[in-house]
Amino acid sequence: MEELKSAIIEFLEGGKTKTKFYFKDIEKAVKQKIPEAKTLQIKKACSALINDGTLIYFSTGSTTMYGLKGRGITEDH
Amino acid sequence: MAFEPKRPQKKINYEEIRLYSDAELNSTTEEELKNFKIKHDIPMCEDLEKGPWPSFVADAKQGALHRRKLADGRVLIPRDVIEDLLGQLELSFVHGETHWKHGGIVGVFGYGGGVIGRYSDLQEEYPAIAHFHTVRVNQPASKFYDTDFLKGLADLWEYRGSGLLNLHGSTGDLVLLGTITDQLEPLFQEMAHVLDTDLGGSGSNLRTPSCCIGKARCEYACYDTQAMCYEMTMHYQDELHRPAFPYKFKFKFDGCPNGCVASIARSDIAFIGTWRDDIRIDQNAVQGYIAGEYAPNAGAHKGRDWGKFDIQKEVIDLCPTGCMSLEGGKLVIDNANCTRCMHCINTMPRALRPGTDTGISMLFGAKAPILEGAQMSTLVIPFIKAEPPYDNIKEVIEKVFEWWMEEGKNRERLGETVQRVGLPKFLEILEVPAAPQMVKEPRSNPYIFWKEEDVPGGFQRDINEFRKRHKR
Ligand code: SF4
Ligand code: SF4
Repeated sequence: MEELKSAIIEFLEGGKTKTKFYFKDIEKAVKQKIPEAKTLQIKKACSALINDGTLIYFSTGSTTMYGLKGRGITEDH
Repeated sequence: MAFEPKRPQKKINYEEIRLYSDAELNSTTEEELKNFKIKHDIPMCEDLEKGPWPSFVADAKQGALHRRKLADGRVLIPRDVIEDLLGQLELSFVHGETHWKHGGIVGVFGYGGGVIGRYSDLQEEYPAIAHFHTVRVNQPASKFYDTDFLKGLADLWEYRGSGLLNLHGSTGDLVLLGTITDQLEPLFQEMAHVLDTDLGGSGSNLRTPSCCIGKARCEYACYDTQAMCYEMTMHYQDELHRPAFPYKFKFKFDGCPNGCVASIARSDIAFIGTWRDDIRIDQNAVQGYIAGEYAPNAGAHKGRDWGKFDIQKEVIDLCPTGCMSLEGGKLVIDNANCTRCMHCINTMPRALRPGTDTGISMLFGAKAPILEGAQMSTLVIPFIKAEPPYDNIKEVIEKVFEWWMEEGKNRERLGETVQRVGLPKFLEILEVPAAPQMVKEPRSNPYIFWKEEDVPGGFQRDINEFRKRHKR
């Protein structure tokens, strides 16, 4: 779990201009780094990062993306 | 099996939870409304009030006047929220473009759906709608409401939001339109703990499942749509609230092929009640219809004189597969060729009823987007039993989820993924054999291809052997 979490954070921090990512992109990046990772585990790790306040959801209503709290549009404005 | 809720259901008593007095709720008169002008000039919006139909502008103005009359401290977000909303809408009509920003953070802790962040891009001109977030509330099964619940929700929303609601969104949720970020958590707490309800789905997750009225009132129901909708909602909570799908995903439950929640046209998985034995026929009642003793369609079309009921013309000749006939005055159905279209049953409900060996058909891949590319679903599982706890059906659903999460592209609905990779692949994933009925007509969609391992001798041949028998 910790390994997955840090792989997710590493990927999200790596974005140069992009600050919001689809779950699929996170999943792909994590699987590249940790080939044996399962989709469901990655989802669980994302949810855990949401719950501890590291990540935030971003949504247009039709699709949802994940971002690091504090980067890009994360606060109200 | 009798329905069992997963936890005790709460009885809501409006008198105990109400926030407003009758005097506060009934504070506007027709006369006042007629002369009421909001603080912005909105000639184009007001033009919409002139038609013969009910107008949301008139409703919104009533809401605006109502909020003006409430005392200070009786609303927790700006009292002129509706006035600014109409002002910005007018400007959007003038400019021909929206003044909402695209997307935003999602509001309630731990939830990835249910709240849709909306922000005005003209916050100085319209400060009361600087934030105007939408909240989706999971509707009760078949939208059976208790008025105590509805009144409680309306009060809560007036107090912590704009008071504007949309019953219902196309998925089925109650949609609460417009509040500020600071009110999201307290609103959610009250919704959950006082009104005993939950947020619905939005974004890339399982959307709020919805069902027809089913066995609660309808004798056609082939399974308990409400029980199944409830079970699936509870079982797939994580999919509903923590989005990780490529795009939205909808479940809809129709009790029979009449399809009152239009699952076939709008859900990624449509669950449609059906039967695999024979249509039950009461020959005496058939005679009653022929003799004109019973009104066809249970009297639904009796507002006009359609002439004497003609069973040949109105039922037998309209059967889409031509599988009905009258033999010696008796109605005969060749059930093997019946497609369960419901026409004959709807026309003569006293005489004909669905069979008793009931279950569901599962269809996949419909979507009804606002802009383009509507698609009907495809029948893949013609019959499966539907009894609690529905493990056989959950197994199918999970195969679909797993495959689509892997294979689907961002913003691609299930139906589009299936179309891209082809139906044979999808059948393989579900471990369902291809059936002749899946081919629309020979050579128009020949998507059932032979695989090498299914062909004796494979695809290899000895060209010399072949040439011995076939000259060039
Ligand atoms: S879909 Fe069928 S069972 Fe459900 S309410 Fe409509 S007619 Fe009745
Ligand atoms: S349900 Fe439809 S297909 Fe079946 S016998 Fe009646 S009319 Fe024909």
